[in-house]
Amino acid sequence: MRLARAVDSALLAIAVFIFLFIVLFPFYWIVLSSFTPKYELFTIPPRYWFSTFTLENYQALANSIPLVRYFVNSLLFAAGSSLVSVAAAFLASYALARIQFHGANLIFIAFVISIALPQIGGLVPLFELFKSTNLINTYHGLVILMSSLVLPFTIWILVPFLRQIPYEIEEAAIMDGARLPQLFWFITLPIMRPALVTMFIINFIIAWNELIYPLVFATSGSNKTLSVGLVELAVQPTAGGGRPWDLLSAMSVVMIVPILVLVLLFQRLIVSGLTRGAIK
Amino acid sequence: MRRTAILICLLLLPAVATRLFTAIYPFFNTVWLSFHDWNPAFPPQQFVGLKNFQALTRDIAVTSSISFTVLFVTVSTLLEIVLGMAIALMLNRAFFGRGAVRAVNLIPWAIPMVVAAIGFRWMYDTQYGVINDLLHRTIGVKVPWLVDFWGARAAVIATNVWKSTPFVGLVLLAALQGVPQDLYEAGRVDGTNRVSAFFYITLPLIMPQIVTIGLFMVVWQLAAFDLVFAMTGGGPGFATQLLAYRIYQVAFTALNFGYASAISMVLFIVVGIASIIGLLLFRKVEVSL
Repeated sequence: MRLARAVDSALLAIAVFIFLFIVLFPFYWIVLSSFTPKYELFTIPPRYWFSTFTLENYQALANSIPLVRYFVNSLLFAAGSSLVSVAAAFLASYALARIQFHGANLIFIAFVISIALPQIGGLVPLFELFKSTNLINTYHGLVILMSSLVLPFTIWILVPFLRQIPYEIEEAAIMDGARLPQLFWFITLPIMRPALVTMFIINFIIAWNELIYPLVFATSGSNKTLSVGLVELAVQPTAGGGRPWDLLSAMSVVMIVPILVLVLLFQRLIVSGLTRGAIK
Repeated sequence: MRRTAILICLLLLPAVATRLFTAIYPFFNTVWLSFHDWNPAFPPQQFVGLKNFQALTRDIAVTSSISFTVLFVTVSTLLEIVLGMAIALMLNRAFFGRGAVRAVNLIPWAIPMVVAAIGFRWMYDTQYGVINDLLHRTIGVKVPWLVDFWGARAAVIATNVWKSTPFVGLVLLAALQGVPQDLYEAGRVDGTNRVSAFFYITLPLIMPQIVTIGLFMVVWQLAAFDLVFAMTGGGPGFATQLLAYRIYQVAFTALNFGYASAISMVLFIVVGIASIIGLLLFRKVEVSL
């Protein structure tokens, strides 16, 4: 019995180790490459440890593209989209969860089904629509697109959340003569805060990672995000036909760091948000 | 009564309006465009009936992208469910540092797909890539990953599985945590071992969640774009052209809007078929419980 238990623990430890290695090794490799001088990246065999630690890749990156500008754009794009999507989803969820009306469930299901519409399938009409309404290359145009993309999922999470909160508190406030803005501000928003913060963070991460919309609708430098800057670097062949791995690895690190901070700070919230949708 | 109706409309307006404007209208417009010839440089649009659809059945670039998309989604989803289940079972066990390992499990989901694609592209490099070096050291072979037809396909699917499996594992872990513990107690009294407990207690109970996440992954990955855009550019040749990438190329490189819309219709139909199969499976699973 004792032997069986020891074998069992050993197997579990091996499984955990293999798992950690597979998940973390690519990150190690990207970070290592980003601090390795360009001329040492192309060696056979590759180096598995810092031979010469350097920051020159980051300097070269900042010199070759408007890195700070892209970073700020990504930040504004992600923050704006998540704010707008959570706000619109909150209002819609309140109507769907709190007001008994004919067709509420139908509207909710329509929102959920629209998750399945592939983003790429509507791109051509969207492009024409945005051209005729002068929304291409505008910040608000990009925010409308992105918040729309994450809206159905946000509503899908918020409606059940609100339904499981007892209505008595809000009812009492309405009896006491609270108007809707007061009710929202003093009662409903505080009650829903955990769910709203969770969806804000998840939507922020999704928008930060988004490629298609900025790629098609942010064609000028003033609106480009990090994701667009990164793929532009990747598809530009350099002299000798190689890829600028020094710049790409540095830029990847720049893109990953804010996400890692969010994951480490809000791990529990993110997990609860992601699994609440799937586990009913 | 009237006031309530107005209030409902006002509350729903922002969400419904943005969805109509950016998702529902474009969808129907794409259906309409697929029966037209339209290059934005040479307007106007011309009605051509089924011409675009006839053309795409003969277009090797499109037919191969359809078959690769089906292969990519099927293989990816199966691997994600099996490996995700393994991860969930592992993270459901008590061990030292479990919280930290669960945090690590979130990371691949959270990082941008373009970063994963580019990082793996570097690691898969035939000459300088670390993957070939590790293979060379362990089994003494080097694979021309991204320049070989099947090598590139395998590399793309492996990267996708690396990125998405932890998310599936996360969802299945939550499903495992929802299984009542006393069932296992009862099973132990009846003398089941761990393997049979998994197949006779755990698996039937979490089947609805497995089908749900499977359907979600299928629908979501049918529209995969970022990965091949950043990793292979659809190459070598048409080897790793996914449907979404093909649509993008036809629409925004060749400026063939009508034809791109017809290929989008194929994507819609495949998504529709996948969803119907998923829903039927789900009902079957629900009934069997």
